[in-house]
Amino acid sequence: MDADSDVALDILITNVVCVFRTRCHLNLRKIALEGANVIYKRDVGKVLMKLRKPRITATIWSSGKVICTGATSEEEAKFGARRLARSLQKLGFQVIFTDFKVVNVLAVCNMPFEIRLPEFTTNNRPHASYEPELHPAVCYRIKSLRATLQIFSTGSITVTGPNVKAVASAVEQIYPFVFESRK
Amino acid sequence: CLVFSGDRVIDVGSEWRTFSNDKATKDPSRVGDTQNPLLSDGDLSTMIGKGTGAASFDEFGNSKYQNRRTMSSSDRAMMNAFKEITNMADRINLPRNIVDRTNNLFKQVYEQKSLKGRSNDAIASACLYIACRQEGVPRTFKEICAVSRISKKEIGRCFKLILKALETSVDLITTGDFMSRFCSNLGLPKQVQMAATHIARKAVELDLVPGRSPISVAAAAIYMASQASSEKRTQKEIGDIAGVADVTIRQSYRLIYPRAPDLFPADFKFDTPVDKLPQL
Repeated sequence: MDADSDVALDILITNVVCVFRTRCHLNLRKIALEGANVIYKRDVGKVLMKLRKPRITATIWSSGKVICTGATSEEEAKFGARRLARSLQKLGFQVIFTDFKVVNVLAVCNMPFEIRLPEFTTNNRPHASYEPELHPAVCYRIKSLRATLQIFSTGSITVTGPNVKAVASAVEQIYPFVFESRK
Repeated sequence: CLVFSGDRVIDVGSEWRTFSNDKATKDPSRVGDTQNPLLSDGDLSTMIGKGTGAASFDEFGNSKYQNRRTMSSSDRAMMNAFKEITNMADRINLPRNIVDRTNNLFKQVYEQKSLKGRSNDAIASACLYIACRQEGVPRTFKEICAVSRISKKEIGRCFKLILKALETSVDLITTGDFMSRFCSNLGLPKQVQMAATHIARKAVELDLVPGRSPISVAAAAIYMASQASSEKRTQKEIGDIAGVADVTIRQSYRLIYPRAPDLFPADFKFDTPVDKLPQL
């Protein structure tokens, strides 16, 4: 059983979420009126700005906190965040780009085999939780990496974690267990 | 010298003069209600019930002694929850042992206070679900939903939180757990029930239905077994009883249909032969 051999598994990062602060109060109304590609959600007090170049959606609060979603890699997230800060600067705000942090990374990985979920759950009792009535996937949590994996019976695995490295090591950690319960 | 064999030895059973130790009957030689010290602590309160007869009402028509002053103010919410649990269990005729287990689970969760913000009814419903699972007679979430006012989503959420809080886990559900209940609700004879159980078990063993919920597989197996016997049931009827949509039964049925001859038990008497089973 070659579980230690180098398996070339493609881990596709689908979403990177990051936050940063502009260190200055932002006038949402002004952004909504003068900015391009913005949606003003007055009831919740946010402005959504969508960028085309790195395809990113940013949620901007008047306190200066910004959350960026939709990037496909950590560098892209940083570029997008900086570009966003630049566009806010062009609107006239004294923006300082601080506290950039990648908060969540979502990745998808496909195993070349199908997986027997009931067997997998019984072998990995405390970490794995499977409720077929609620969700068709097994939810496996790795506490040390703060990562959660959703394992489907088709062999596709969805991983969420705090950064790309954690996601990669989570996939490496889960591979032997999943390999045991393959079809 | 003295030897203390017991400090406060009070027998809470009935006294020797009454000849049944049955707690349920009102024992006239006892004072106070039956003790339930396992669940609510310190239950030595006396409640004034609603009066009957004319003397219990004062001038304006209000009853004298208005408040049933519940002296057990701590855990009043817990007693309320126990009442709710008993009501829910009554609606689906659950035996006393499951209700007791539910009460115990609720007490543990309540004392831990980690789920304090959640609605008590939601926690009670989730405890009921866990108790049924632990006793080996699981009820589907939809069945618990039917007797509770809480949504399936919320019960599911509370279920996961309780498992984490109590650090327990439950066994996976199997198709066989639901067979006897579904089949008797549909009025199917024992032969059909046994055949359906066999079909479902075989289908899961041969892994013909990966990723399908055991309830859906059970429903499809019942459909196949009933269609092969003289007691036919439609997908809609089975879907109604099992709480699955009839398209779901259709999907699972399509997966098990190709191997139908292998799934039936060897000694099954076919009213409709295997090749004439409906193909959806």
